[in-house]
Amino acid sequence: MASMLESVVLSTISLSSPLILAAMGGFTSERSGVINIALEGKMLSAACAAYIATLFWHSPWLALGVGIAAAIVMSVLHWLLTQQYRIDQIISGMAINLLAAGGTNYFLNKYQDPNATNLPVLPMSLFWIVGFVLPLLLWLYTRFGRGGLRLQAVGSDPDKARMMGVQPLTTRLLCLVATGVFTGIAGTMIFTSAGQFTEGMTAGRGYIALAALILGGWRPVPAMLACIAFGFFQAMQLQLQGTKIAGADIPAEVWSSLPYLVTVIALAGFLGRSRSPAGLGKL
Amino acid sequence: MSYAVAMTGISKRFGAVRALDAVDLNVEPGNIHAVVGENGAGKTTLMRALYGAMQFDSGTIEVEGKPVRFANSKQAIAAGIGMVSQHYGIIGALSCLENLMLGAEGGPIINPGAAAAEATKLATRMGFHFDWFKSAEGLSPAGAQKLEILKLLWRKAKIMILDEPTAMLSPADGEALFASLKQLTDEGATVILVTHRLPEVLDHCSTVTVLRAGKRVAEKAVKDTNARELAQLIVGGAIAEAPQRAASTGGEVLKIENVVVRGRRGEDALKQVSLDVKAGEIVGIAGVDGSGQRELFHAISGILRVRTGSITLEGQDITSESTSRRLRQGLRIIPEDRHEEAVIEDWSLEENSALGLQRLEPFAKGGVINAPARHEAATAIADRFATKHGGLKLPMQSLSGGNQQRFVAARALHLAPKLLLAFQPARGLDLNSTTRVYEGIRQACQQGTAALVVSFDLDELLEYCDRVVAMNGGELLAPPAGKLLDRDTIGRLMVGAE
Amino acid sequence: MSALNPATNPFGNFIKQRWALAALVIAAALVVLGALALSGTPPLQVLSDLVKSSLGGARPLTGTFRELTPLLISGIAVFLALKAGLFNIGVEGQFTVGGLACAMVALKIPGIAGIVAGIVAGMVFGALWALPAGLIKAYKGGHEVITTIMLNNVAMLLTTALVAGPWKAPNDQSPTTTSLEQASFLPNLIGPKNIPGSAGLFEVGELQVSSGLLIGLIVAIALWYWLKRTVAGYELQAVGANPTAARFAGIDHRRVTVKAMVWSGAIGGLAGAVQVLAVEHRFYPQLASGYGFDALGVAMLAGATPLGLIPSGFLFAVLNKGGTSIQVLDQVPKGITYVILGLLIIIAAAVRYRKTAGSNG
Repeated sequence: MASMLESVVLSTISLSSPLILAAMGGFTSERSGVINIALEGKMLSAACAAYIATLFWHSPWLALGVGIAAAIVMSVLHWLLTQQYRIDQIISGMAINLLAAGGTNYFLNKYQDPNATNLPVLPMSLFWIVGFVLPLLLWLYTRFGRGGLRLQAVGSDPDKARMMGVQPLTTRLLCLVATGVFTGIAGTMIFTSAGQFTEGMTAGRGYIALAALILGGWRPVPAMLACIAFGFFQAMQLQLQGTKIAGADIPAEVWSSLPYLVTVIALAGFLGRSRSPAGLGKL
Repeated sequence: MSYAVAMTGISKRFGAVRALDAVDLNVEPGNIHAVVGENGAGKTTLMRALYGAMQFDSGTIEVEGKPVRFANSKQAIAAGIGMVSQHYGIIGALSCLENLMLGAEGGPIINPGAAAAEATKLATRMGFHFDWFKSAEGLSPAGAQKLEILKLLWRKAKIMILDEPTAMLSPADGEALFASLKQLTDEGATVILVTHRLPEVLDHCSTVTVLRAGKRVAEKAVKDTNARELAQLIVGGAIAEAPQRAASTGGEVLKIENVVVRGRRGEDALKQVSLDVKAGEIVGIAGVDGSGQRELFHAISGILRVRTGSITLEGQDITSESTSRRLRQGLRIIPEDRHEEAVIEDWSLEENSALGLQRLEPFAKGGVINAPARHEAATAIADRFATKHGGLKLPMQSLSGGNQQRFVAARALHLAPKLLLAFQPARGLDLNSTTRVYEGIRQACQQGTAALVVSFDLDELLEYCDRVVAMNGGELLAPPAGKLLDRDTIGRLMVGAE
Repeated sequence: MSALNPATNPFGNFIKQRWALAALVIAAALVVLGALALSGTPPLQVLSDLVKSSLGGARPLTGTFRELTPLLISGIAVFLALKAGLFNIGVEGQFTVGGLACAMVALKIPGIAGIVAGIVAGMVFGALWALPAGLIKAYKGGHEVITTIMLNNVAMLLTTALVAGPWKAPNDQSPTTTSLEQASFLPNLIGPKNIPGSAGLFEVGELQVSSGLLIGLIVAIALWYWLKRTVAGYELQAVGANPTAARFAGIDHRRVTVKAMVWSGAIGGLAGAVQVLAVEHRFYPQLASGYGFDALGVAMLAGATPLGLIPSGFLFAVLNKGGTSIQVLDQVPKGITYVILGLLIIIAAAVRYRKTAGSNG
């Protein structure tokens, strides 16, 4: 029993940390007013870039750097499209996901090396620590940081913020770079935990992270708690696979779909209303 | 002595419209300088140019003798200029303290305790009191205005631009504001006051600049001028003919009885409002913005739910009918916010001509659109108030604001309305167009329409309506018989002084 | 820094400058050409292979039309919602659920009756799958993009659970339903008479076109008429263009939102049903295989009227069909076609924005 508890706790931590990192990437972007359905694509790009960097240089730290750089590039492109070309934020998010899916398929076909096993990777605990400390830092930053205040102001009302001398464009650029950093770490982590890159390996985690962010009312610590809850669902699913509950065989997919259903129910208002940033999607 | 602000030859075009045409503005330090003019005269545009919030085409600006050109508001703020815009810059999602500090936090790390102490010191100096850690969302208009003043002081602004600061204030709060401004100018600040209320200019300012249609038409010392002269300068030579009044009125068209409506914060936004409007008459509703006119308008339109009381249109109870049903029964609406509520900017004029009438004949029959009839109707609507347009197939956004307003007003009058609801029907129109729109309403009334008009401009209502009632704090107050158009009486009702 | 400065570069000006759009197009072209060049095959060769393998003859065309059918119908689903101001990202899920519902009904009822009942079942379940998104958007303000993304995942997982469990074909390794009887296939519109089961109403050599495509074309034309000529279509578009103005015009924006989402879902379900009846003849979890997402691009590129969906869907079909072939023929990874589609969507959206912003002066 003790070992089962231990393994549930451990897998909850490892399953929820990439979600938390991605959700924090979603936080800086959405709280500053940029709708971000592209977390998935940014993580996928980072995972692929980290894999290829590892193949080339065999340095896990360099791989992390390249992974982050790839996600930053996607994020800055996102900024350019939404803030300069003023393309609808959902359309540009979709386009980024398409570019990431296509681009990673392209590079994977070019560079993948199925014989390369036992690639050097960073210890997972490193990512766990970052994942669980980051929300607290972000919370402190929004309370006590100048940038945190400006981020919230721009996300709430870009026009009024501009009248107070705060530049929404610059603020959002910095916020999206931060999104790149966080989703870059998340993507590298997903690659690290598998030790390989496979197509579409982020497997919808970007969307679950977004769901967690919404459930958490666009606040870092509650969003982290939602991620932990989702991670716990998944961990339980791994544990309970094949076991019967009240005599019925519950398929694993039912467990997997719980986070999504909970999000829909929350959006329907059954779990209390969460308020989105007023300037979300506004230029 | 150098001016605090000297703007010379400022020009700005928006497309084909000359918003500012070589305007000069010279402001002496330590004074309250008024900038007056009609809606659309260019007052706000000029101030936005000074504040770096808009780039002008030509001209120069000097601040305290030094030539400047601000690329953005940040640079203007750094040069000691502050601006309070008409709709305030308070962000409800932030606390009062955060609103105060935004953009001038004094370093990358914020120490809320120390900042709140400093803010309290500043507030005490002005005789204000704030709970700094409370959300700014619940601030009253007067509270928001005070916070705006403190924001200027926090940024150590020496030159303060206030755009229509009393538009949302009660008269008493307005007086308190001017007392604060007096204190600030005594301490050396310079205030530029944008307003269209002449008493404010005459009572509190030392110099006044008059703008008309993007041009500066006069700059005068207040002691050398008077209300009559200023009014003449503001509107120019155009003098409207004496408007007609209703010769006779018919039966009751609209009957509102004891209507109560909940506001956004759960308060009673309308308190037992009752009103009758008869066929053939134009009834005006006067009042400071936010007195309940909007809620009344929305309740009659069917957009806000009525909690208790009843609304009757031509004898039929429509209290819980949908807007669509009310339109079918002859209600027509000229909404307040043309851009947001009255038109679809991407659509052609022709498509817009059916908006609100789309289910009625001749626009449609049996759920199918009658395109030739719609084209004909659009032509008639555009012609009615001489809307200037480049073709009925062009999008609405190709029209200037004034022309859009003409189109919207004409549309509401197109199909012989039973009841016309108009919220600021002359918004953004010059005096002559205003007269034409009201004449149009009058014509409709002569054929039996009943009209209910909301405006924040009491004089406009007194000029064109048959009687004017006032709203204050959600209550509707009618002047006694014999004083249906008495300016003083209605003015006192508006502010709740009677 | 001046590029980041909103005052010297006020919003809107950047994109209004001609070079900004040109830069976007050139950058996109460079990315695609660079990727092709890197893959070692001359770009022109790749292009000609792409065209040959999708348009060059009866067999390639048959494949392209097979791709076009689901792309067109799901494109219509997205387009309809888009006209009401809604992003139905959930077509993938509605497609999946509709496909399963249709397969189960058609397995129970053979023949024409089963085809009709299957199509109806697909539409009903597609609509039901979209309903929560519509209700939440209309009455709670929850963004339909989030709800539909979540419901996509639920659709995928639950249908997998069903066809891996109780509804699994007994003799199959992977999760799938039993295959339909031939009597339950949607017949070809065009097909060679000499091949049993492929015979169509018309014969154009070896070419095969399913009557599912005809269904798609009819729905597209019907939608075109409905939007242009009916008051209901006018009101739906008014809600999409300006919901506040629509309210003042007596339009119940909530009802329109729910209605638009439900019909969009029904058409998404129709796409799944047609895919089952005309192409796959069974349900398996990967039935939609991204058509619902491609449909977003199809709708984006279609422009203002539903008739634009036909060329836009065709372009996507060519890229889908040709993309698979160039991977084999030229060793160009198929991913390149997604990149091309992504870039096309970006450019189309930028051009559209420029057009509406341009007339503002």
